[in-house]
Amino acid sequence: MSWKAIDRNQAVVDADAPPLLSEGVREKILSYTHRYETKRAALLPALHLVQNTLGHVSWQAMVEIAALLDIQPSDVFDTLTFYTHFWTHPKGEKVITVCRSLSCEVLGGAAVLDALKARLGIEEHGTSSDGQYSLVTEECLAGCDHAPCMLINEKLHKNVKLDDLERILADGDNDRVDMPRSDLFDAPPVAESKQPASATEDDSRTTDD
Amino acid sequence: MKNVGVDGSTTLKVYESRGGYVAARKALAMDTNAVVEEVKKANLRGRGGAGFPAGVKWGFLPKDRTTTLLCVNADESEPPTFCNRVLMEHDPHQLIEGTIIAAYATRSQVAYIYMRGEFHEQFHVLQKAIDEAYEAGYLGKKVLGTDYALECYIHRGAGAYVCGEETGLIESLEGKRGQPRIKPPFPAIEGLFRRPTVVNNVETLSCLPHIMERGADWFTGIGPPHSAGPKLFCVSGPVNKPGCYEAAMDITVRELIERDDMGGGMLSGRKVKAVFPGGLSMGVLTVDELDMKMDFEDPRNYSLLGLGTAAAVVVDDATDIRLVLRNVARFYGTESCGQCTQCREGTSWMQRIAQRIESGAGRMEDLDLLLETARNMGMMPGLSICGLSDGATYPIETIVKKFRPELEAAIRSQPAGQVEAVLQAAN
Amino acid sequence: MAKIIIDNQELECREGMPVLRAALEAGWDIPHYCYHPGLSVAASCRLCLMEMKMPHPKTREMDWAPKLFPACQTPVRDGLEVRFNSDVVKTAQESCMEFFLLNHPLDCPVCDQAGECCLQDYSYKFGRAESRMVDPKVVNPKKDIGPHTLLYTDRCVTCTRCVRFTREIAGTGELCLVQRGSKNEIDVFPGRPLDNPMQGNVVDICPVGCLLDKDFLFKRRVWELTGTSSICPGCATGCSIRVDHADNRVYRLKPRYNPKVNDWWMCDEGRFGFKYTQDNARIIKPMLRRGREETSPSWREIPDIVRFRFQDHVRASSADKVVAVLSPFMATEEAWLLIRFIREVAPEAALAMGPVPVEGEPQAFPCAPPGAPSMPDVKFTILEEKCPNRRGIEQLLEVSGGTVLTFEAFSEQAAKGDFTAAWIVGGYPKPWVEKDTAKLGSKFGLLVVQDLFENKLTEAAAIVLPACAWVERDGSFVNAKGLAQPFERAISPPDGAMRDGQYLFEIAGFEGLYSGQRVRELMAEATASLTEVYEAPPIPAHAH
Repeated sequence: MSWKAIDRNQAVVDADAPPLLSEGVREKILSYTHRYETKRAALLPALHLVQNTLGHVSWQAMVEIAALLDIQPSDVFDTLTFYTHFWTHPKGEKVITVCRSLSCEVLGGAAVLDALKARLGIEEHGTSSDGQYSLVTEECLAGCDHAPCMLINEKLHKNVKLDDLERILADGDNDRVDMPRSDLFDAPPVAESKQPASATEDDSRTTDD
Repeated sequence: MKNVGVDGSTTLKVYESRGGYVAARKALAMDTNAVVEEVKKANLRGRGGAGFPAGVKWGFLPKDRTTTLLCVNADESEPPTFCNRVLMEHDPHQLIEGTIIAAYATRSQVAYIYMRGEFHEQFHVLQKAIDEAYEAGYLGKKVLGTDYALECYIHRGAGAYVCGEETGLIESLEGKRGQPRIKPPFPAIEGLFRRPTVVNNVETLSCLPHIMERGADWFTGIGPPHSAGPKLFCVSGPVNKPGCYEAAMDITVRELIERDDMGGGMLSGRKVKAVFPGGLSMGVLTVDELDMKMDFEDPRNYSLLGLGTAAAVVVDDATDIRLVLRNVARFYGTESCGQCTQCREGTSWMQRIAQRIESGAGRMEDLDLLLETARNMGMMPGLSICGLSDGATYPIETIVKKFRPELEAAIRSQPAGQVEAVLQAAN
Repeated sequence: MAKIIIDNQELECREGMPVLRAALEAGWDIPHYCYHPGLSVAASCRLCLMEMKMPHPKTREMDWAPKLFPACQTPVRDGLEVRFNSDVVKTAQESCMEFFLLNHPLDCPVCDQAGECCLQDYSYKFGRAESRMVDPKVVNPKKDIGPHTLLYTDRCVTCTRCVRFTREIAGTGELCLVQRGSKNEIDVFPGRPLDNPMQGNVVDICPVGCLLDKDFLFKRRVWELTGTSSICPGCATGCSIRVDHADNRVYRLKPRYNPKVNDWWMCDEGRFGFKYTQDNARIIKPMLRRGREETSPSWREIPDIVRFRFQDHVRASSADKVVAVLSPFMATEEAWLLIRFIREVAPEAALAMGPVPVEGEPQAFPCAPPGAPSMPDVKFTILEEKCPNRRGIEQLLEVSGGTVLTFEAFSEQAAKGDFTAAWIVGGYPKPWVEKDTAKLGSKFGLLVVQDLFENKLTEAAAIVLPACAWVERDGSFVNAKGLAQPFERAISPPDGAMRDGQYLFEIAGFEGLYSGQRVRELMAEATASLTEVYEAPPIPAHAH
């Protein structure tokens, strides 16, 4: 144990930086607040929205969300880190979530995970050098009847076999589910540029192992 | 599960063509208390895991309340459970209808469906169905043309098992970390936004349309008296037909695995070694215990915590029991919210011990240590705020107790000096 | 009041208070981390578990329920029966302590908390001798979370007292809990450090050595410290504090529970406000000046010198040309002695109130959260009046009668040369002699100045008497609410100096040793209202 301490006095957000969240995203977040009795209750929907838009929830995004919901940035930091689906640093274009529940593991889930690590050249929580894929695991995706399974962004891949991996990874549409979507609520926001992850940047804050 | 597998089952049109929303209309024509009484009479026990009667739960709401909130627990996170997923994926309107009935019976103004973040497809399906219901006037200011108003929103979780605990869910809905609350006060008195709140599971609510339509007597006529009504059973692992099956609560674990209209037997060449019949948290059965009845009472006779989610995962004889132990221990180590000491430290300690045992560096005394840690985490109710701690102890305890010979044999077969080498390297 | 039974002993306590608090205050040493009477109940450390009698579900007979209950979360109600002395409870405590120590680094030899650490105390009393964990410990980083505070995450027991404090008492919410499960850590949002004016309290309420005060870091082992009850002189709130000192040096100030004033808290301004007492520039010797000649008489000579000089002066001019300016930093007793002396040698002497330092606005806590519709209930106030005893001095002036002046009136008259002899008391920690006041130095034939530091007035004075810091004195202060509270002497004045009370006692013609109590007895006839002091009830050490 070293005597060096992490310095929390240093600002990580430039106070003069232009707003990160677009007007559309802000309005959407505020529109969520009407569903609840407290503004803070809109925090999870807000985090989902921001992460979908920016690819991750950066420190600056946390500060802006806090201001919108009348809470402290530390409250956002507190809540965000409790949930494994949110990350504070950029991830790859597509995030592969491999299920490691017992059902999946008994049917070869661990082998799928190992094969992906080898194929992408990364460990869990890592991002491939081309910024294309990040790899994480989840305790159970509730797809046990299709074990082993994994999610790529929002698409669930069922009964994944080692031989299928190349085909799945090569498919450009492997991360989207094609289905009618609601436009009354939670319409996907206008596409904003995702911030690509650098290959070296590892998201230590979502480490859950 | 009558609409699962029907073409277009997720659409309002098909749902209505098969008798949908008739029950809700019937319920809304009744007095709210009469609906509660009917559900009490049906002895509808919660399908989420605890088995608490839904009607009784509703009865705890203060009589003089002005605001009531309904939370639908769709945070199905107990491995290996997926029956709610199936219900939402294939029959979203049945859930919405059940939600309307429950909300009406409890005089709720808003229903929040707390859905786990891993459900993407299901979210789109259910949201689309909610939109349809709004458009048709089944939700909103005038539900089904009556003066009853109900708003219904989906609130998505983001990867936290503990949010399936009802007060963890409430905290999460309030935009906080999903740490279960201390009780009392119970949600019925002071829940979401400090309002009287009811939290019901998806499957529980999905039973309501059928109870309202066919009556409590029909419901209690199915299965044993203490475990009335149809139930969804999941089976997964190396069986021929992993899936979700509906049956009365008088089937045995063996039937669930072997019946042709259910699990369809083991994959060729594999044999049952162990079964977690009710989700991991309830504990494990050996191959000699497969005649356990899948109801609310019998599991206790097999040192299990309860029926749980009635989702069985089968472990075959090719799987090392140490892998199972580690998988289970890691699950709780990862998912403990970290609030209560026993659970935060105990789960992580058990995880480290189990990982070491799996890596081939187990010590005989580790088995007793696991048992004692489990006992210290759950020797008596009240040791921790919520049930996750108990849920973590049952599988560990039952694995170590029921599979002790195999674990001991594995430890005995380790090369000499292995333990010392591993511990030295680790520390 | 309600009657409850704890471990077969009957106890009378207030209905509705947590059983834990009732038990702690009645002397039971119940282990607890997360519970703090000033904060909301978390019931998460699970150390204060107890057994409780409940009606049996079938027979309705009262019997021990097969369940454990957190004493912090169970309110007292009449007839309640609980026990902590059963085997089940003891086993639960023991296993809980084992869990707490699993990942603890056991670095007590280099930990500031050692000696006042609840992990140490509880391990000794309730724990087991050795760890059964052979696997690697979870190692967490140290964090510099603000200008005054360090966070040793690996020593944390996740009681969240500190987080609740910043949310509920300070209202600033800098601290938060991040991550989940065994990985969770206390943290701040980077760049939003813990820097609110109340932040030092988080170090006090941390039951272990996780949150540490940089100011005290590695300065002293706590068992070498002696604690003396005192009152903070930083503002007119008058918080009860404890002065921790060793080798005649103050090391730190800690708040002391006082339900009428500060509850369990104090502000940073007060907490770190003792540094001036260690300033080498302090006046430590009495000094006589005749023309350019300066001498330093012994303390034994001082009472006579002072008395003669005043008597001389009164004989030479008239008594109403004498004035005494009292400082709001004086103890009431000291001021009474000075007034007694001045009015004895010059019955017509004027009395004046010294300047009352005011800085900014009062600060109420908790701060209103952003967007809050209304101010929350005030739990603590830092007053703009930065002195401890304006009320006490004012009351004395009132009962003393005769000519009583404000500082402005005194300044005006003095500038006109209305006074020929003056005794001016300073004792302000910060420079206080303004330009106009400095000019007054030359206006008196006889000027006695009693002060901590050299300034324009001491330069002009014929007699300079060292003032002592409050930690070196004893007496009482009357706070903004009119509450008179005694403070004790923690350390001796610097070599050469004498405490103000003692020389004023002697100058006023009394013999023997000064003490606040003794002077209060002397004062009692004239000023009863000032002599009834309130002392906050002590709470047992185990009820931290």
